[in-house]
Amino acid sequence: MNNTSSSVNGPLSVNQEATRRQILRWGAMGGAAVILSGAPGAAWAKPKGPQERVRAYVLVVDGCRPDEITPALTPRLAALRGSGTTYPAARSLPVMETIPNHVMMMTGARPDRTGVPANKIYDRAEGVQRDLDRPTDLRFPTIIERLNQAGRTTGTVLSKEYLYGIFGERATYRWEPAPIVPVSGHAPDAATMDAIIAMVDAADPDLVFTNLGDVDRMGHSDLSGTTLQAARTAALASTDRQVGRFIDHLTATGKWDTSVLLVLADHSMDWSIPTNVISVDLILREREDLRSQVVIAQNGGADLLYWTGPAASRDSGLAEVSSLVAAHPGVLAVADPSSLRLGPEAGDLIATCRAGWRFSDPYVVSNPIPGNHGHPATEPIPFFISGGSPRVRAGVVSSEQARTIDVAPTLGFLFGMNAPAGGYDGTARSSAFTG
Amino acid sequence: MSPFTRRDVLRAAGTVAVVGAATASVGAPSALSAPVTAGPFRHGVASGDPLPGGVLLWTRVTPSNESLPGSGAGPEVTVTWEVSNSPEFRRIVSRGSTATGPWRDHTVKVDATGLEPATTYWYRFRMGKVVSPVGRTRTAPASGAPVDGLRIGVVSCANLQAGWFSSYRHLAAHPDLDLVLHLGDYLYEYAPGEYQARDVVVRPHDPAIEMTVLEHYRRRHAQYKQDADLQALHAVAPFVVTWDDHESANDAWSGGAENHTEGTEGAWQARRAAAQQAYAEWMPVRYDAGGQLYRRLTFGSLASLSMLDLRTYRDEQASGPTDPAVDDPARSITGEAQMDWLLNGLSSQDAQWKLVGNPVMITPIRFPSTLSTAELGAMQQLLGTTTIDGVPYNVDQWDGYAADQSRVLRHLRDRAISDTVFLTGDIHSGWACDLPADPATYPVNGNSVGVELVCTSVTSDNLDDILRVPPRTASLSVESAFKANNPQVKYLDFDSHGYSVLNVTPAGLRMDWYVLTERTDPRSTVARSQSWQVAAGTQKVTPAGGQA
Repeated sequence: MNNTSSSVNGPLSVNQEATRRQILRWGAMGGAAVILSGAPGAAWAKPKGPQERVRAYVLVVDGCRPDEITPALTPRLAALRGSGTTYPAARSLPVMETIPNHVMMMTGARPDRTGVPANKIYDRAEGVQRDLDRPTDLRFPTIIERLNQAGRTTGTVLSKEYLYGIFGERATYRWEPAPIVPVSGHAPDAATMDAIIAMVDAADPDLVFTNLGDVDRMGHSDLSGTTLQAARTAALASTDRQVGRFIDHLTATGKWDTSVLLVLADHSMDWSIPTNVISVDLILREREDLRSQVVIAQNGGADLLYWTGPAASRDSGLAEVSSLVAAHPGVLAVADPSSLRLGPEAGDLIATCRAGWRFSDPYVVSNPIPGNHGHPATEPIPFFISGGSPRVRAGVVSSEQARTIDVAPTLGFLFGMNAPAGGYDGTARSSAFTG
Repeated sequence: MSPFTRRDVLRAAGTVAVVGAATASVGAPSALSAPVTAGPFRHGVASGDPLPGGVLLWTRVTPSNESLPGSGAGPEVTVTWEVSNSPEFRRIVSRGSTATGPWRDHTVKVDATGLEPATTYWYRFRMGKVVSPVGRTRTAPASGAPVDGLRIGVVSCANLQAGWFSSYRHLAAHPDLDLVLHLGDYLYEYAPGEYQARDVVVRPHDPAIEMTVLEHYRRRHAQYKQDADLQALHAVAPFVVTWDDHESANDAWSGGAENHTEGTEGAWQARRAAAQQAYAEWMPVRYDAGGQLYRRLTFGSLASLSMLDLRTYRDEQASGPTDPAVDDPARSITGEAQMDWLLNGLSSQDAQWKLVGNPVMITPIRFPSTLSTAELGAMQQLLGTTTIDGVPYNVDQWDGYAADQSRVLRHLRDRAISDTVFLTGDIHSGWACDLPADPATYPVNGNSVGVELVCTSVTSDNLDDILRVPPRTASLSVESAFKANNPQVKYLDFDSHGYSVLNVTPAGLRMDWYVLTERTDPRSTVARSQSWQVAAGTQKVTPAGGQA
């Protein structure tokens, strides 16, 4: 193999790291080497399966709004949507953040069963605010693991470091995002797509779970978000080209006719101007007795509030906090996290903002980014099932309200899997398939 | 409420010609239809408010010569009803009987239950050996069931004195109507000469006075129900109705109306109660007099339809666009309970399309600053309001209740509620509008939280009638000015009369506007004038091409 050729894909080397994992260096388009890892004993040169085989690819266009997929701006995604079954009423689920919704996709379960309600929580045991980015944070079996147990192979190609962190080594084949863009903590879509293609070529898993992070990251930082959305628009066009690359590659390698693509977003995006900022810490500053007993985990358009004071004053204290926070003109609602099935990790109160606002704690300058999500305004997502497989119903628009949590049940339906113990909280979108 | 009321305009208009007053009997039939003009079932048959398992059936019987509408006379009689799944009534799937009499003006309204969802049925009534005309109706799809499409006729503002109901006749000819949405002003309260087609009373109202008491309201309903074209439309599809103001009196609010003089015309509460009783008796609607008219119907997973009542609970209209009351958060057009019900319904995720039967416009509209004095005067007459550049142009609409308007639009934006469509009447003109998420940035980013589609009047006067110019002449410049000043307005026709047909599918919805050639001609033809569509998930109206 010539790893400097722009037209050559192929293995460069395979290393066995004792019994823990294998490392594969794969020559990607453009000359860069993609580093993939595999479970012990996983085959890298998987023979082609029977023609009736199904290859499932979950492509998460992180942060994409459903109205951003248009024939003019994103022609490949729009064509893909038009040639499959689409769910225009699809929604993300609380908290509308990346980690919990990716977890819901792969488990089919709500956060009170998975243990993953938000990107960032206050870890009472450790006494710190932290991202839920550890494999042990996820306590519900994923469709990835269950497919593996059923003898199928899986892959994860996740552009964000914390996603790579929480899904860990669950998949048969993994890609650790690289190169990482400073500050954003994600790998560019071009690199991510190199990795997807490399993984499909090298291992051809039955399921590949992919996150493309550019659209989200450009949305967060787009200073023209409330008007022109210049950077965001450029990212959408670029990501669309990467998706097109993948479709073309599947077609060129003869895999398209057995491929099912489930394309969705984990949440959408909402932009605010610098004056529309809510600081819960600032709100509570006049009540130091309350402020000192509340810890805030900031999640963009949502704040999770944790009572750390005496248990005896918890109910009255939270009631006062709720009342004070709810009175802010930018606050949409303050709710008990259990009402949203978020589980104890989400704390004692969840405050969400109105459209066009954002939380910023502890200071109003702590969150300078104009694009945020986590609040109800960021629930609508694209969600469509397409591909060359004859099992995909083409040209169908469904009124069903698909949700991120429906991905695992839908994959389970596609692969003939039983539901996990206790059942799914999501619904298999079987209306997208024939037979 | 304003220095220029419709009544003032009418009085100022001078002599009014009453065409046909001497020759047209009450409920004179259309030249093209074969109405039921005599016999016990002379007011036709109707159905309404379809549910997955049932539908309301309506008729009115005239069992004796003295049993005239509003008379309070005549015997109690038993009326039986039958529902079949074939027009020949080969198999009866539901039947029953009910008593009626003068206490309810001999109207009959029954809830036919035990029916299958999404199924077309035929129904008829019997009184003794006399059988009514046959009506066709259709039940709603089952809750949560997938639905490929829904076809809805949309109408409003049918003033019998202003013309013939050719719109109803042509709408009835459309195939496969699932239902007809009537957005109010189903009938008008005025006496002959008070409000008609420009200066011409095409068909005089009965009774020949403004309706103020129960007898009047009953007789006026009866007159309209004897119109052949209206009977034809009622007979082909279930109606879903709400009232606007003219079912009681012009610019009605919870404590009165512009066209009500307390004392001289009795007490408003008594007058409104009479109007509501007649409405409950004569309309195929799930409403009991004094009860709650606002309600929600669902059509599988495809659509919900929230029908609003914007007259019963509203505060009095502001005196004009610059009245600080416009922005008073304590004032409401819906009332608190209905507002909570509406917002909760919009948040519901049970159906994709959130259709709202909305008697008056909700799109924020500002007066253009470029209108001539004559144009401003005409707008005053059409809208019954003062006109001041750059301010809300009609305080009888949601614009006059800015807090409620903002609360609804803000709710749609904050919750990112998709596929909300306000279906509106009242304003005697055709509109297709986006609902800007933020008026300040809408001209740049076009972000919209929903759409509003407004059908024009069946007959009631509009701008060219008030300007006394031919249609599509002087109004064009006014429309251009409005659209230039209000970029959210994509389509506007201030002149035409007609009806609309709404097709709803999971992929999108499309409204076609049909306009009459001449409302005063009983043989008026109709033509499709405009088509606009809303793709699912976009919250924006765009032009639609192709066939209706």
